[in-house]
Amino acid sequence: MNLPLGLDPDELAVCVSCGLCLPHCPTYRVSLDERYSPRGRINLMRAVEEGTLTMDQEWFDSLDTCIQCLGCETACPSGVKYGSLISGTKTAMAQQRTPGHKLRAGLWVLKHPRLLVWGSRAMAVVQRLGLLSRNSSLWPKKIPLRRPKSTATATGEVVLFTGCVMDTWMPEVHRAAEKVLQASGTAVMLSGTATGCCGALHEHAGLTDQAQQRAQRVMDSLPGEHPILVDAAGCGAALKNYGHLLGTEQAQEFAERVFDVQEWLAKHPERLAKIPLKETQRPPVIVQDPCHLRHAQQCHEAVRVVLAPVAELVELDDEGLCCGAGGSFSLVHPELAQGVRERKMEAIARAGNHEVVSANPGCALHLGAAGAKVRHPLELLAEAIVDPQEPGT
Amino acid sequence: MPDQLLAELREALGPKSVSFGGAAQLLYSRDSSVFPGGQPGPVCFPETTEQVVACVQAAVNHNRSFVPRGAGTGLAGGAIPCDDPVMIVTTRMNKILEVDKQKQFAWVEPGVINLDLSRYLLGTGLHFAPDPSSQQSCTIGGNVANNSGGPHCLAYGVTSAHILAVEVVLPDASVAVFGDPEGPAGGYDLRGAFVGGEGTLGVATRVAVRLTPDPPAVRTMLLDYQDVGTAADTVSAIIGAGIVPAAIEMMDQKVIEVVEKFIKVGYPQDAAAVLIVEVDGLIDGVEHEVERITEIALACGTRTVRVAADEEERARIWKGRKNAFGAIAQVKPGYYLHDTVIPRTKLTEVINKVYETAERYDLLVMNVFHAGDGNLHPLLIFDPQEEGIMDRVLAAGEEIVQTSLDAGGVLSGEHGIGLEKRRFMDRLFSENDLDAQAKLRHTFDPDERANPHKVLPGGSSCAEINHMDKPPEGTWV
Repeated sequence: MNLPLGLDPDELAVCVSCGLCLPHCPTYRVSLDERYSPRGRINLMRAVEEGTLTMDQEWFDSLDTCIQCLGCETACPSGVKYGSLISGTKTAMAQQRTPGHKLRAGLWVLKHPRLLVWGSRAMAVVQRLGLLSRNSSLWPKKIPLRRPKSTATATGEVVLFTGCVMDTWMPEVHRAAEKVLQASGTAVMLSGTATGCCGALHEHAGLTDQAQQRAQRVMDSLPGEHPILVDAAGCGAALKNYGHLLGTEQAQEFAERVFDVQEWLAKHPERLAKIPLKETQRPPVIVQDPCHLRHAQQCHEAVRVVLAPVAELVELDDEGLCCGAGGSFSLVHPELAQGVRERKMEAIARAGNHEVVSANPGCALHLGAAGAKVRHPLELLAEAIVDPQEPGT
Repeated sequence: MPDQLLAELREALGPKSVSFGGAAQLLYSRDSSVFPGGQPGPVCFPETTEQVVACVQAAVNHNRSFVPRGAGTGLAGGAIPCDDPVMIVTTRMNKILEVDKQKQFAWVEPGVINLDLSRYLLGTGLHFAPDPSSQQSCTIGGNVANNSGGPHCLAYGVTSAHILAVEVVLPDASVAVFGDPEGPAGGYDLRGAFVGGEGTLGVATRVAVRLTPDPPAVRTMLLDYQDVGTAADTVSAIIGAGIVPAAIEMMDQKVIEVVEKFIKVGYPQDAAAVLIVEVDGLIDGVEHEVERITEIALACGTRTVRVAADEEERARIWKGRKNAFGAIAQVKPGYYLHDTVIPRTKLTEVINKVYETAERYDLLVMNVFHAGDGNLHPLLIFDPQEEGIMDRVLAAGEEIVQTSLDAGGVLSGEHGIGLEKRRFMDRLFSENDLDAQAKLRHTFDPDERANPHKVLPGGSSCAEINHMDKPPEGTWV
């Protein structure tokens, strides 16, 4: 039987409606309405599959507003695979109606690296002329005009995945990753422009075909057996999900080569120990776990392992609740995204308003736009490396 | 006219705080119980007492009933709407209004989440003692309605012992305060009558909760057994010796097996049962109690006694217990859970009968419960897709209830009566008992406007709800 959403009935049946997911859902926390909760969304999926509800505007609104942070999946005692359910639902939704023009335009640009570079330079100029906001969740306060030079080599032991927007807007993070890896005695090569965008945002929007095309292109451009290291949690989660997205053995094998940079370093303590660090500690930093690191990849502890020697780490008391960035979420649902962000900003204030580290560019931009000072953990680690010219300082 | 009712509610609460559409109607037709759901009218999200008054007044004006609802984690169908009621969802009334550390109480709104209150109090040396397994989601208002319990209610008492006062919107839309946060104020204890009223006496809009000092020391012990009877005897012997631990929880062999499979907390795999015993208080007293419990347990035939060495081990022991229901749900997608309370001395006898009943109906049963106060939670586990399964599950459930009543037990320890157990009420209470309860209810609510068809038996019932042949997919119970 062809069901409207095409979801696996067994997966759908696992949810027992206990409601233990409710407080772990950022949109429920803000709305306090079942329609914006994981339990509610699952019941709405069921109702459409059973034919008791049609996909009307109210239904779309409930499902559209899911940030896909997967906080509910971590919290669920029954092991509901919410990520799989919402991703299937988003695919069915995208087939019913096309995403908004702003989102479509954005996703189209991501697939064209040259356009992204030139477009970004144009934006940088416009921003310097004061015609583009410095407080957006979508682009940096200061879009770079040119990228700092990479120190990566043509061959290496590991590949650093450079992606699309991050390479253009936050190249300093890639440079920091290179510096840290090289200091650990690891030769790094870059994935390069042929690899391009990972397709995470396309998948997020339910554009599964496009996401699959991106995935195939990324895989084709990175043959071999080198580990592929990623410094953006969202991209890392997408790459690790290729096995599921494409359903092929080749994709599964590729996914097994993918590691978050911090995760890889934590798995190689002998290399981590080689990084020569300055003796002075920096002021305390607050660790913000991107959902794609904590709930999707479940390797957020690695950030603490690599940063522990560098700074006193301060934890947030909100159990890893999403910050509201969620890929393109802050673009499509600005009001809800701001409500979710307010909770995170309050948690940051309770933790002492220190500098924040976040291993995902989306979170960094979204929180930065609200006034938080956010940097990538690898930037902090790179700064703490002893300068080779001045041994012993 | 439904349009006029809707307009009146939207006028009073604002258009964004009243929902009336397919998705909202569907999602607010159910709670966490097995029941397939009723039919809600407009779904309202008031934020103040005045707005709750407006909701109740609108219901009165249009001769509708109303149903108060918190997070919808109830297991007895207490928040299921019958007869198109105005749904009064209190989740947005979630402010902690006042904390008086000296007098050890706090005024909170009903939508505050139980665990959020305890988190908020971290560092003050005080906490709210009732800790239901759903505490991360359930609201204080829901705890008040169901007089909820939890593992640590053995020593500290269930919710009623921790509610000092409530502000209530009565079914005629007037507002009254029952009780006083600074101690009994004389007169009738209407606070006591309201707690556990399951929303049939009005809507709580502010609650004064007692704050309990954090114990200076805690020790958690894991005791294991080769048969359930010896575990049950140990529970009686500990309490009989005059010791009241903070918690005594029991898990049987099948629960241990699934918990270990999914969570891996280190329970002995070959045990027929384990007990988790927690004691708290002053450090010297706690050490002494651990010694005495160890002596008593070994004399009763306990195989091994393990005392958690540190906070990490303690957390691990509790993790298995607190996630047991979820782990069980991974065995089969449906389960039906009862909540009877029996005299501790009858534990062995009743549990053996529960096993017999399950076997006779060819059902899998697992036991994980608050052994210290005899509050059973036998879980019948099944696949809702199986043909005719629901008849067997309901029949076995009924037999378990009867076994508990025959042993001198009661229907509910902490989940409430709701829709689920009202049909059993006349087995526990005499006609006069029930009549007195009905008179109390009618004094508050002569028109049966507040959460109709709940708690007390009789009258019409919510359409198909009491005649369910097949549960909805993936029902929790």
